[in-house]
Amino acid sequence: MKGRYEDEKLFWIPVLIAAVFLLPFLLKGMTNSYRYYLYVLNIAGIYMILTVGLDLLSGYTGLISLGHAAFFAIGAYLSAILVDQGGLPFELSLIIAPLLTGLFGLVIGFPALRLEGMYLGLATMGFGFIVKRMIIALRQWTQGSNGLQVSSPHIFGFTFRNDWDNYFLIYTGVVLTVVIARRMVRSKLGRAFMAIRDSERAAEAVGIRLAKYKMISFFISGVFAGFAGVLFAHTSHFISTDHFDILLSVYFIIMILVGGVGSIYGAVLGALFIVLLDNLAIPLFKDWLQTFITVEAGDIQSLIFGLIMFLFIIFQPTGLYGLWLKVRIYWKLFPFNPRKRFS
Amino acid sequence: MKLKMSLVGITITLLLVGCAKKELTPGVTDTEILIGNIQDLSGPMKELGYLLPAGANLYFQYINDQGGIYGRKIRMLVEDHQYNPQKAVAAAKKLIEKDQVFCLYQVIGTSTSEAIIPILEEYKIPLVAPATQSGTMSRPLRRYIFQTDTGYDKQMNVLIDYILRQDKNARIGLIYQDDNYGANALKGAAEAEARHKITLQKESYQRGASDFSGQVGNLMKGGATHVIIAGIVREPIIIMKTAAAMGYRPQFLGLSPTMDHRVAIAAGPAGEGYIAANFAPLWNSDAPGPVLYRKLHDKYADPKTLPLGMYSYYGFATATVLVEALKNAGKDLTRASFLQALNSLDYKGGSFPDFKWTRTNHGSSGKVVLVQVKNGKQVEISDWLD
Amino acid sequence: MPDLLIDNLHIHFDGVIALDDVSLTVKSGEIFSLIGPNGSGKSTLFNCINGFNRPRKGAIRFGGINLLRKKTHEIPLLGIARTFQNLQNVPYMTVLDNVLLGAHLRISKRDTVKRWLSRKQRVAEEALALEIMDLLGIANFERKYLLGQPFGIRKLVEIARALVSRPKLILLDEPAAGMNDQETIEIAKIITEIRNELGITVLVVEHDMRLVMRISDRICVLDSGKVITIGKPDEVKQHPEVVKVFLGEGTDA
Repeated sequence: MKGRYEDEKLFWIPVLIAAVFLLPFLLKGMTNSYRYYLYVLNIAGIYMILTVGLDLLSGYTGLISLGHAAFFAIGAYLSAILVDQGGLPFELSLIIAPLLTGLFGLVIGFPALRLEGMYLGLATMGFGFIVKRMIIALRQWTQGSNGLQVSSPHIFGFTFRNDWDNYFLIYTGVVLTVVIARRMVRSKLGRAFMAIRDSERAAEAVGIRLAKYKMISFFISGVFAGFAGVLFAHTSHFISTDHFDILLSVYFIIMILVGGVGSIYGAVLGALFIVLLDNLAIPLFKDWLQTFITVEAGDIQSLIFGLIMFLFIIFQPTGLYGLWLKVRIYWKLFPFNPRKRFS
Repeated sequence: MKLKMSLVGITITLLLVGCAKKELTPGVTDTEILIGNIQDLSGPMKELGYLLPAGANLYFQYINDQGGIYGRKIRMLVEDHQYNPQKAVAAAKKLIEKDQVFCLYQVIGTSTSEAIIPILEEYKIPLVAPATQSGTMSRPLRRYIFQTDTGYDKQMNVLIDYILRQDKNARIGLIYQDDNYGANALKGAAEAEARHKITLQKESYQRGASDFSGQVGNLMKGGATHVIIAGIVREPIIIMKTAAAMGYRPQFLGLSPTMDHRVAIAAGPAGEGYIAANFAPLWNSDAPGPVLYRKLHDKYADPKTLPLGMYSYYGFATATVLVEALKNAGKDLTRASFLQALNSLDYKGGSFPDFKWTRTNHGSSGKVVLVQVKNGKQVEISDWLD
Repeated sequence: MPDLLIDNLHIHFDGVIALDDVSLTVKSGEIFSLIGPNGSGKSTLFNCINGFNRPRKGAIRFGGINLLRKKTHEIPLLGIARTFQNLQNVPYMTVLDNVLLGAHLRISKRDTVKRWLSRKQRVAEEALALEIMDLLGIANFERKYLLGQPFGIRKLVEIARALVSRPKLILLDEPAAGMNDQETIEIAKIITEIRNELGITVLVVEHDMRLVMRISDRICVLDSGKVITIGKPDEVKQHPEVVKVFLGEGTDA
């Protein structure tokens, strides 16, 4: 039987996974400030988990969400409260908190059945504001706007104390997320999502219940966002409403746009790209720019993000992942010109 | 198993390397002390992000021109957190790991400062004078945070005591921002309510709100004769103008973030008589701190880019505290000796009311001076109250 | 296999009558064609059968069940599949996945979960589609993304998607529209194979009169929502009103 996908070369997957887990050792050998880079990578990893979930919803199912920072916050707060106040073991919270976040996904998914495009974007954005208010209002558990101290991740007797430990925890999560999400999108579930995105009529005509699958998509997306939230809360040890700004939701959208909408690897690449750009490239660019004029990173950050998004939408709508596929095909077919392969 | 082995191996190597390097304190050489400052350079408070470090640099330059501290000149790196706690963490890690600063100083904001507490504890690095007056920074005691400013909760107590001294029968209203700032103000209000057996009429608003007619209307109906504003700069201006337009003229008072000359300018006649709490001498007063500040400003600053004012004075004042602690730590400057110096600092520099830090108290003097707008200018109207 | 009974179907949109008391029966195992000028109500009839449109009056029965009482997504459960005139498929999915989309109801939840873990299950799932794709001669395209495939292939993918659900009745909405002569002959062959080899009843809307005349067992002519005549191709060709309505289209048939 022939494989269905050109990239279903399973050999590369263990190699890639091994590379991910060897990277910290490499960084350590290379630089003294490796722990800073690990921290940046950890943030990227947490965002990868979230953007993969967001991509399932917005990229695959075509339901835009500007409220994913809220799901992220729910997962973070739920786990912080369940573990630190409810005494739930972290191992269980790692499963329960995301599932509960998924239920919140269902709550917001319900109005989504009647809303499309921009209106859905606004509704989910409103959800973001509501969640923020709720967190402040539920002072008893969340400490309101004071923010909440969170315990370290603790799995089967091992406590993850610093960025080095956290890296292995987070990237195990990333690998799991990517594998599960890839499996999902290649199954009946993923086909149903994509059919809903591209043709609701065709979807209904083959027997897909639109409402059910849209809800499932919101649920799954919520679960991933919640999972990311749990990891974020326990690895950063402090969460507050300021962490989960509406702008963060917008950055998540930029990440999947840049990575390539409707592709799991794209979401991963997008999160990595934006986080590295934000933390490493923009400061360098700022320092260079400051030899001419006085600017601050934040001033050019929005400008660069906006510009990048604009350029990707115009020139590279399939995102970084699409670019990679193109390059790969180009080298495979070299010297024959492989134009129009993906046009 | 192999992974575990190599993990253990690498950890041991790291420990050995760590031990070998122990004599070297990060950020300290024979000629320099490197400190890290995290400001909001491009977010909602970016104006302060420039003024606070600029004020601090006036004093650092003065010290450096005198030959520094035991021959070491002070150099300050400023990172941007855009008022986002996650970015504050990233900035702190960068300063500590990449730039190898000796200590952190003046991180602005409450949630941003709180977000980096786990890092301070992990690296055992002190944060001197976080730029926030939230009482939560030093109560309960944070091992690595040393606060120079009097907390909002203490300020609230002083303001309410003051009002009741002026007018026994005062009915006090409070408008607070519904976030961690407001929460700390409410804590102080609750303490004062219990002491005086009174009840404040409380109205809240969301950060960024620009319409206060509902809150002001409620206070007017409730008959508040004194209204305390736990806002930043914009809110007292709008609130006082709204009240004036409604023909409601209570005595307005505010916490330290409203102690801004722009309130007097922008509110115009409606702002006349406005009283704000201040945790340091007023920058244009005759206390020794402000006098030195103005002298250094004359000497080093270009008034076009750095005007005299409360924020650059605040940066200057905290710098005097930092320098004093660095001096006390002695010639052999390490993080341990610095922490020891901080834990026993007896500050009498005149830029803040005198205070003492001990192993169990990293808070300020708890004192406040009241500043009133008279003829459009701010003047101190009280002694140090606590 | 059940017959499709359409009884006094009536539907109008904003005062325009789209179907006016249409009654017809598609017998099991038949290739039944609907013809008529643009706007005569052919596609509306399709949309009524698979639940996109909700008629005011009348009934559509299939195996004793009134389809009008069923939700759109329940229609395929009864064994009715359809294609669309303007292609409704997923460009950023492979050809194989586009076809497998049609097998949605044949794949159980359990199989889906199993599939995540077992390669065998994945192969079994693919086999569902490859069987049909072989029949239509598009098995070579399985790994290609649909985007960028020629129109003819996409058309066949559409048919394959309908077939893979193993329907009892298939509704083909203009299968030959936009195809060249060679491809039209191919389509004609496929339609007869669908009936002869798979035993599926075929209801087809088509503009190409040559194709219709060649493959149909019976033909229904619609004009302005009314049935003009129903009969064998030869009878319909002779019908005076049909000649009138199809003047132009009819003559080159």
